[in-house]
Amino acid sequence: MTYRLPKKDLDQTLRGWANQAEVFAPQKREGYAQFLPWEAGNELLLDEPHNTRFPPKAFFLPQSETLLTYNRKLSQLEMPALQISPRIIFGIRPCDARAVALLDTVFATQENPDPYWQARREQTILIGVGCNQPATTCFCTSVGSSPFAHAGLDALLIDLGEAYLVERFTERGEALFANLASADANDIEQAGNIQKQAEALLETAFITDNLKDHLDQIFDSSLWGEFAQSCLGCGICTFLCPTCFCFDIVDEAQRDERVRNWDTCMFRVYSLEASGHNPRPTRAERTRQRLMHKFSYWLEHADQFGCTGCGRCVRYCPVGLDIRAMIRKAVATPSEAVHVN
Amino acid sequence: MTELETKIRAEAERLLTEHVVDVVIAFRQEDAPLHPQPAFFTRAEELESLTYNGLCANNLANYLTRYPQETRIGMVVRGCENRSVNALLVEKQHIRENLVLLGIPCEGILDWRRIVALTGENVLSVEEKDDSVIVHTHENTFELSRVELLHPSCQRCLHPNPISADVLLGEPKPEGDPTLMRLRIEELEKLTPTERNAWFKHEAERCIRCYACREACPMCYCTECFVDHTEPRWTESGVTPAGMQAWHIIRAFHQTGRCTSCGACERACPMDIQMTYLTDKLNLDMADAYQFEVGMDAETQPPFATLTLDDKNRFIAQGKRS
Repeated sequence: MTYRLPKKDLDQTLRGWANQAEVFAPQKREGYAQFLPWEAGNELLLDEPHNTRFPPKAFFLPQSETLLTYNRKLSQLEMPALQISPRIIFGIRPCDARAVALLDTVFATQENPDPYWQARREQTILIGVGCNQPATTCFCTSVGSSPFAHAGLDALLIDLGEAYLVERFTERGEALFANLASADANDIEQAGNIQKQAEALLETAFITDNLKDHLDQIFDSSLWGEFAQSCLGCGICTFLCPTCFCFDIVDEAQRDERVRNWDTCMFRVYSLEASGHNPRPTRAERTRQRLMHKFSYWLEHADQFGCTGCGRCVRYCPVGLDIRAMIRKAVATPSEAVHVN
Repeated sequence: MTELETKIRAEAERLLTEHVVDVVIAFRQEDAPLHPQPAFFTRAEELESLTYNGLCANNLANYLTRYPQETRIGMVVRGCENRSVNALLVEKQHIRENLVLLGIPCEGILDWRRIVALTGENVLSVEEKDDSVIVHTHENTFELSRVELLHPSCQRCLHPNPISADVLLGEPKPEGDPTLMRLRIEELEKLTPTERNAWFKHEAERCIRCYACREACPMCYCTECFVDHTEPRWTESGVTPAGMQAWHIIRAFHQTGRCTSCGACERACPMDIQMTYLTDKLNLDMADAYQFEVGMDAETQPPFATLTLDDKNRFIAQGKRS
């Protein structure tokens, strides 16, 4: 079933939610879109073509978080109380919600669930808004998704101009949009046209047929070194990435805390071993790792690419390295030409 | 192709075909209209993709320290890049004889974020015409004023002309107005210490510690940065206020007498953090206290890297406590 939410009722809907949970919605601060706590009267950025600059993965995997506090004298460890109050993230893009679902395959597995991730995930409802106007840096349709995909979402809104078409996918989503009128045939047809138009704006960024096998075959290519020539080795692409999840665990001994921080394969120290040996000694191996992880290794554990096509890395790379162009070049590199040392 | 691009390509071609250099470091354009990339040409046939325009945002001197000193390098340099090369030569990071500097009098770098803010998404192409910039998007064409699109560091630029280029391509531009940088710093100095501290914290606390500012800077070439050092640890590891503030303040101080105010750090920052106010203040102090300006030649050591017996602060030579 699909429903209709007139735009004039959105504010009232958000007010209702704010009584039961903390509501976050995209708003402009410091000149760019950020998920910030919603308060009545706030202006929302729901029709910007691109998404928030900082990825919403941080709601579940904060860039820095205390895992344990310890008392050295008493040899005691204590896990901080994970009292997360209910949260609703409104206006998340389908690419970012899909990224959260992908990260569930890492942090919410049956064998090794991450309690920190789980506590936040359980308390958080994701309400998406589809992308009528994808940006030139977007490429979700090339990585198996769409500007109106459902993955990870509790409900999705499609902007019809005067109203939103509401699709509900979970009980939590249903509860937030109770008592709405059903969408009529016109609304549904209009939503279908909007989806088609948006998808038509997205060109095929690269061909994914057989991509994993091909990448595995060109592991020793000189191509990675070509990319690495201009790569600065900063952390922008991975820190802004909605699916990159690598972390480092550090003891902040001055305050007796064991802390988990985001880490990135683009840093030299990421794979540096205590002996001084570094299995990824140059930017070439590190660039390769980033691309291989997303387009080869992810398939091994989740059977999906570890990229949702959000385009942040394309948009903010300070040297203009475009992951789409890099994959196209990798696809065009013949595997026979690669010398294995 | 612009007249300037034709000139750069011709020079680059000469350097490569006559084996004067091993590599030419310049820019090339791929698909993204707002983001030309640093490019490394080793064969003349590759030069077809060589680009030069106002969106070339990186300081190419950054790549100098990636090469052994024997490598003969041709490099496109604007005013700031030339001074960064000089500052690196002062620090013995390359050999002047192994460099061919293709100088470009600079009209300033266009800030792509300003373009997007004014024209919206979906920029298809950008044309530069004298004082205006014409931006074509999916839906519209915009004619914007060049001056308003310039990156703030370029608006305050003092020396747009390369000062020690081997070849100068294009007509020299007028020198910049030295009061602009000073005015901005004086505005900050008028604030109370509490207000200034709030300003500093506000900027530093948006940091995500991606270190793009460090990696984009030609002068940040330490093999091991202080933040990566583990024994002893100099800063907190995470995105805590203390960790982020320590990063910003220590990064800036390490630039004393070394920064050319090129602004590459700010252009790289994904969170739009202002940080040149710290280094610009240090540059003004260097000018006022020591009459020193970074990179104006390839020999003069920065004041804090020198020790002379006639130093007016005699405490070290005489072993006195200050």
